[in-house]
Amino acid sequence: MTSKHPHCVAIEPDLVAAATGEAGLAVAERVRHHVAHCAPCRGDFTRYRAIEAITGQIRTAPVALDDEAGARARLASRLADVRRRLLMYRIFDSPLGHILIARSEEGVALVEYLGSNSVQASRLTRIADGVELVEDDDQIERLCRELTEFLEGRRVKLDWPLDLRLARGEFDRSVLHVTAGIPYGAVTSYAAVAREIGKPSAVRAVAQALRWNPLPLVIPCHRVIGSSGALTGYAGNKVTLKQRLLSVEGMPTVRSPRDFRIARAATYACDRSEREYCLPTCGSIMRRSLAGLTLFASRERAEAAGLTPCTTCRPDLHPLER
Amino acid sequence: MAKDPFETAVAAHHAEIHRYVVRLTRRASMAEDLAQETFLRAYRAWRALPEGANVRAWLFAIATNVCRNHFRGEKRRSVAHATVRATGNELDTAGPESETLFNETRTLIEASVERLPLKQRTAFILRKIHELEYEAIGQSLDCSVESARAHVFQALRKIRQSLNGHELP
Repeated sequence: MTSKHPHCVAIEPDLVAAATGEAGLAVAERVRHHVAHCAPCRGDFTRYRAIEAITGQIRTAPVALDDEAGARARLASRLADVRRRLLMYRIFDSPLGHILIARSEEGVALVEYLGSNSVQASRLTRIADGVELVEDDDQIERLCRELTEFLEGRRVKLDWPLDLRLARGEFDRSVLHVTAGIPYGAVTSYAAVAREIGKPSAVRAVAQALRWNPLPLVIPCHRVIGSSGALTGYAGNKVTLKQRLLSVEGMPTVRSPRDFRIARAATYACDRSEREYCLPTCGSIMRRSLAGLTLFASRERAEAAGLTPCTTCRPDLHPLER
Repeated sequence: MAKDPFETAVAAHHAEIHRYVVRLTRRASMAEDLAQETFLRAYRAWRALPEGANVRAWLFAIATNVCRNHFRGEKRRSVAHATVRATGNELDTAGPESETLFNETRTLIEASVERLPLKQRTAFILRKIHELEYEAIGQSLDCSVESARAHVFQALRKIRQSLNGHELP
């Protein structure tokens, strides 16, 4: 390769710019003047123009794709598969420590208390059936905000589309479905849920199903308690947390030797087969087990659930004192 | 489904990305898979894309990365040297006799593009075939706008040198 004059080396980028139409007026003029007097650079300029013309032709007559429609269809099917398997998650700091929220395109699939743990401790890492995890999602930001409001008592409903793919089976799904219907500021019992799904003897299985509830708080399993009024378990051994969640909803509890229990004398009661709510002193309601009852923290909560005051004990005329 | 913004991006850019990958890898047979991989990756990262971002430039950057990883993998399997010659003709288009000189020059240019180092070749294709801005090319090559400009210039200079002494159309 012959060595070029330094001036020619220096002007080559401008030569390219002028040949490809990227040069300003002053640069184009300088190049024009230079090539008029420099034969080697004139040659180079011509070659750059030829390259520009040919790349232009390549651009306007692009390579033919063998089967673009087929490629698109195969991509669409792969995408549909990824969309089905993809879970997007975010971990955020809540008043209860780290909480993980994961969602699919269908809806929220998992809410998990992580305490001080990281995602490695999550149930997500143990899901084997081809679930794909992606961190971060702007939409989850909104869910985190709503969940915080809920935990602070500033929101009574988490009205989220749900994806129950992480539920363990049909039985669990039916338990979760009934539990999702328990209103804010109310409690009922495992036995009542068992009755409602038509399996009155499956009380323990109901408790197990709720233990594996993939959507605590959203599906309010903290509102399901023992028939005696004792709170019993929550999320393993977090019964204190259950008491805290219930008290945010205004549900009165008292400490018992081993547990907490609902202060029944301070709640309104409703027979699950009726549409009226009663004072705790109405008839024999106070002595009945919770297997057939729902308790409400306040008249407002009972009426928000669509119930009317009992026409015998008239809780509307003689409300409980708080 | 039609209103889904990602589906819209697929519809708008798939063919172009597919062509880019064909040109960059010189292997039509590989290109479909690599274009597919580009869009699957894009889908996973879609939500993190800032509003108003240049989707086209972003897809080119992903495609460039996918291809680069593919080349690395190929190098590891040390079969890279076997691929180039076998596929040189895939992109050639035959023209009528009157265009012989033009086509000869085109073949010459295509051959010298193939010999360019990967970064220069990528920069050249992005700029001259797909007309991306230098900023987007920098994004694809993970370098500054100035470096992107320099890669394109070096590519052009080498191609120009390959035409020295040849008759031009």
